[in-house]
Amino acid sequence: MLMTGAQYIESLRKMKTRVYMFGEEVKDWVDHPIIRPSINCVAITYDLAHDPEYADLMTAKSNLTGETVNRFSHLHQSTEDLKKKVKMQRLCGQKTASCFQRCVGMDAFNAVFSTTYETDKKYGTNYHENFKNFLKMVQEKDYVVDGAMTDPKGDRGLAPSAQRDPDLFMHIVERREDGIVVRGAKAHQTGTINSHWHIVMPTQAMKEADKDYAVSFACPSDAEGMYMIYGRQSCDTRKLEEGADVDLGNKQFGGQEALVVFDNVFIPNEYIFLAGEYDFAGMMVERFAGYHRQSYGGCKVGVGDVLIGAAALAAEYNGAQKASHIKDKLIEMIHLNETLYCCGIACSSEGHPTLAGNYEIDLLLANVCKQNVTRFPYDITRLAEDIAGGLMVTMPSEKDFKSDLKVGRNGETIGDICNKYFAAAPSCTTEERMRILRFIENICLGSSAVGYRTESLHGAGSPQAQRIMISRQGNLEGKKELAKAIVGIK
Amino acid sequence: MKCGVRFCGGCNPRFDRGKALREIERDVNNMDFTHAVEGETYDRLLVIGGCANCCASYDHFDVKGKIYKLWDYSQIDDLKKELNKD
Repeated sequence: MLMTGAQYIESLRKMKTRVYMFGEEVKDWVDHPIIRPSINCVAITYDLAHDPEYADLMTAKSNLTGETVNRFSHLHQSTEDLKKKVKMQRLCGQKTASCFQRCVGMDAFNAVFSTTYETDKKYGTNYHENFKNFLKMVQEKDYVVDGAMTDPKGDRGLAPSAQRDPDLFMHIVERREDGIVVRGAKAHQTGTINSHWHIVMPTQAMKEADKDYAVSFACPSDAEGMYMIYGRQSCDTRKLEEGADVDLGNKQFGGQEALVVFDNVFIPNEYIFLAGEYDFAGMMVERFAGYHRQSYGGCKVGVGDVLIGAAALAAEYNGAQKASHIKDKLIEMIHLNETLYCCGIACSSEGHPTLAGNYEIDLLLANVCKQNVTRFPYDITRLAEDIAGGLMVTMPSEKDFKSDLKVGRNGETIGDICNKYFAAAPSCTTEERMRILRFIENICLGSSAVGYRTESLHGAGSPQAQRIMISRQGNLEGKKELAKAIVGIK
Repeated sequence: MKCGVRFCGGCNPRFDRGKALREIERDVNNMDFTHAVEGETYDRLLVIGGCANCCASYDHFDVKGKIYKLWDYSQIDDLKKELNKD
């Protein structure tokens, strides 16, 4: 059953997820003004699946059940599926100009599906069947699932088992006949509060001493012992201002990250996907990271599309659209954005089947994709700010533009003065100009900059993580042989 | 005649695909256009893509006759003529 956005939001109200923000528990988190834009963002992934104009990207036929499912819960069956995933992400970015949060679950499904298959093959465990049953339930209920990988990690120079505080990496604290008890936390969790379930995965490759840290499982987001502490975003409290609209930049949509704490959470056997087989932790991490690095070649491109459009509008509103340097900057933005998309499509086109049957991306190209994503959005935002002008960060507030307070010699109000001095080209009203500038501010350095800038740098692994993979996958020895062959070195 | 319609997913369309369909519905009188669903049989199928790739999947639809494709707004007049003659 494909839920609508409204049904999804209602389904969240039935959850008993524990959420904390600004040092207090948030009971009505679904309607909280800071949280709600991020929920609206996920809801779009449901509504688009019902729209015939988008259904070809937003839905797929499940290989597990034969039913039509939301592509966010699909196991990729071909390179065509991999490409459609990227296109879907671009579409969702275009519709929200924010992080729509549902990719982490999709990337976790595909990584855990193939890793459990290979783990079972070596150890005779039952993880793959566990996972398939779990995913069937997710597909049938059309749930959002958070793919939780990043541990707090403590001292980066020490292995999980060598940390001063063992909880700095998620670990098994008790093994029972009917399941395991886990303790730890996952940091920077995108969309965690908006998820019905979580899939937890290890954060890095593990050695034998760390086998209790090689753990993967699923649990509902309101499992006993689980709670979330909301992450602050730049300018977040603007959302608490009464009647806030223009100053928010993007009133409707936004992203979400939080710290998720697992305080002795019991996981029944049927939801365990890895529990001590440490030699498969690295495989799960590498596969998840690969898919997630592919994802960024879609989602960030979609947000980039909107930002480029906003910059072009700002130029028009400023009356500068005919200036050759403005045109050239917009071309450069498009070039950078489409280069990212090229990478997302390329690593998908060069995908291949795993032993379990689902498709994975070309790992080298996916890492090149994400490496570019760590750079180009910064260039694109710089150009957007250049085109927009300094007013995007210096203009008075929305309340000033609407103020009736008389301040002028002839009885002019603050609103009159703001509208007089910030009017520009006749093609727009002053409010329209304000709206587009605040929108650019929101993406470049406001709450959506979390998703478009810093997440581009650190999400799915920081730049150095990709460089390590590029080094491993780059076939430097093969390239040396090419040079030797041409110049005659044996 | 019943004509199923399948859109591509619209990741970066170069024209308004929905508007194009509404224009075709207005100007083509011999066909009933409906969004294609699996399990139904259609006399014709119209695939509307947002770019030349026209990547919409449609193999799973049951179509008795011709499959038409539109991926550029400049093709719309010729397509309408063809559909009207069909």
